[in-house]
Amino acid sequence: MLTMKNINKVFKTDLVETHALRDFNLEVKEGEFVAVTGPSGSGKTTFLNIAGLLEGFTNGEYHLDDVNISNLSDNKAAAIRNEKIGFIFQGFNLIPDLNLAENVEVPLRYRGFNAKERQRRVKAALEQVGLGARMKHLPSQLSGGQQQRVAIARALAGEPRFLLADEPTGNLDSLMARQVMELLEEINKAGTTIIMVTHDPELARRAQRNIQIVDGQVCDFTLYQGGQSHLVDTAEKVAS
Amino acid sequence: MLNIKPIFSSLLRSKSGPVLLLVQIVLSVAIVANASFIIHERLGMMQRDSGINEEEVLTFSVFNFDPSIDIDQQNKIDQQILRALPNVQAATSTNMLPLSGSGWSSTLNMGPDPETAKSTPQYAMYLGTEHTIKTLGLKLIEGRNFYADEINKSVNDPGKLMIISKALAETVWPDESAIGKLLYIDDEQLEVIGVVEKFQGAWVDSDDLEYSVIHNVDFAGYTYMVRAAASQHEALQDAIVKALMKENPNRVIDDFQSVAEVKKRSYRDHELMITVLSMMVVLLLLITSLGLTGMVMFNIQRRTKQIGTRRALGATKGDILSLFLVENYLICISGGVLGACLAVLLGQQLMKYYDLPQLNLFYPVVTVVGMMLVTTIAVVLPARKAANISPAMATRSV
Repeated sequence: MLTMKNINKVFKTDLVETHALRDFNLEVKEGEFVAVTGPSGSGKTTFLNIAGLLEGFTNGEYHLDDVNISNLSDNKAAAIRNEKIGFIFQGFNLIPDLNLAENVEVPLRYRGFNAKERQRRVKAALEQVGLGARMKHLPSQLSGGQQQRVAIARALAGEPRFLLADEPTGNLDSLMARQVMELLEEINKAGTTIIMVTHDPELARRAQRNIQIVDGQVCDFTLYQGGQSHLVDTAEKVAS
Repeated sequence: MLNIKPIFSSLLRSKSGPVLLLVQIVLSVAIVANASFIIHERLGMMQRDSGINEEEVLTFSVFNFDPSIDIDQQNKIDQQILRALPNVQAATSTNMLPLSGSGWSSTLNMGPDPETAKSTPQYAMYLGTEHTIKTLGLKLIEGRNFYADEINKSVNDPGKLMIISKALAETVWPDESAIGKLLYIDDEQLEVIGVVEKFQGAWVDSDDLEYSVIHNVDFAGYTYMVRAAASQHEALQDAIVKALMKENPNRVIDDFQSVAEVKKRSYRDHELMITVLSMMVVLLLLITSLGLTGMVMFNIQRRTKQIGTRRALGATKGDILSLFLVENYLICISGGVLGACLAVLLGQQLMKYYDLPQLNLFYPVVTVVGMMLVTTIAVVLPARKAANISPAMATRSV
């Protein structure tokens, strides 16, 4: 579903070149729940941005759903983001002046759905995250956990092929973090592929696969199967 | 995709900035619409056809200081000298200068009995000769010019004839020819022998400006009008002074000016008002566009992450551009509609207190359209900057 081969991302200034990703290789299969961990500055967010078509890469090859992502026009990239990818951000990124229904409706409007279809999807998505009764509330009237659930509803409303979550529990207390994580697991069980960047090893352990990024490269894979973890060499995994 | 409903809802929820901008647009539309109307109305006044060949008619005054001079005789000689000068097409003396703001005016009775007869409108009373029409370049459209032997020496002489402006003819005799018709001063009658297409009086602000009459009287005054090509006027001034001073050196010849210059001076206040109002219109539009640009730039700065998020969620650059345009068009249209209503109310007050005509609705409508154009120009540049915000901004901590 998602294949990255030898992806490099170099940020250049007049004085320095920073390699955010170096020969980055990764394959994510449909229906997987992958956690991406790594120290600050290791390239996790850069990977997420490239995976989510939020920014380009310097060289390499990236296929998403058999679509070659290199050299996509800005409008085509926007269309793919809108149709195939759902985003969940650490800071929720809800629009404060819009109520919950209007927030969830934002990507659906860009998709060009008619009003009836938008209403149906908004209602279904908010009900799925348990906020169906609060559609007219403003984000400021909700707790952090509820806001993140709205953000998840917004990501789900477009029925994307996969979800990209950037520290989805980073701004939540442990109880709310657990609730959000359970929601993500539920979504994954329903068939949506999830890639989640996190600092929290506990949460990472609940994913099917854990990828650690160090200095812009995939350092190791950890498969969690039946509660037992197995460290797998990167080269070996890619070869397999 | 315009997305008007959520944009409108969003504007209603964060009111202060949009409301300030709205008030600014309401006031701007009300003032600009009325100012544009007044400017257009004044320009229309200034561009009215006087019926006179304004550029070619050179006027001047002769001040005699010789007590023994026979004014009538000297005037006759001077007119002959002027007509004999090279490049002069026609010349005459006059009792008043057209469009000058001063002169003679009168009314006549439309019947012999002053008690029962209605009066004509107030008209500009020119005293002229058979040379007056040619000198001023008036177009005779009906009847005839004076003959030389019909010119009286005084307004009290018998045999009173008139050449009148078409506007006066149509007002006094709406459905019939004015030629041969009589008007009266007490029991004395005056006959209309000619009608000129247009001939304005002296007072440019008067409602009766178009009503003029030339009486067959050679007024031996001190003001003369000479017709010659405008390019000849400078040389002609020297020639006039030289020729008239040769004939009688005990006098001062001064105040050379074309009727075009006389007219320009009379419309000076109007010109000043047009300049001031035009500057005010430009300033208001500039301030409004700066307000809009400032508001958009502030919003972009405040909503950088939100714009990045919208881009991440699938908004194209065009969607972001249209978001800001629609947002500001909504403010502009709301302000425009309210401003147009205020413009009509303001126009009514101006009509009441300053004797202005009723505001034509065309002006508020055009002002709102113009305001939309200003909005587009003011918003597009910063909005394009917003459209270029990277979707990756959504994952950054800003």
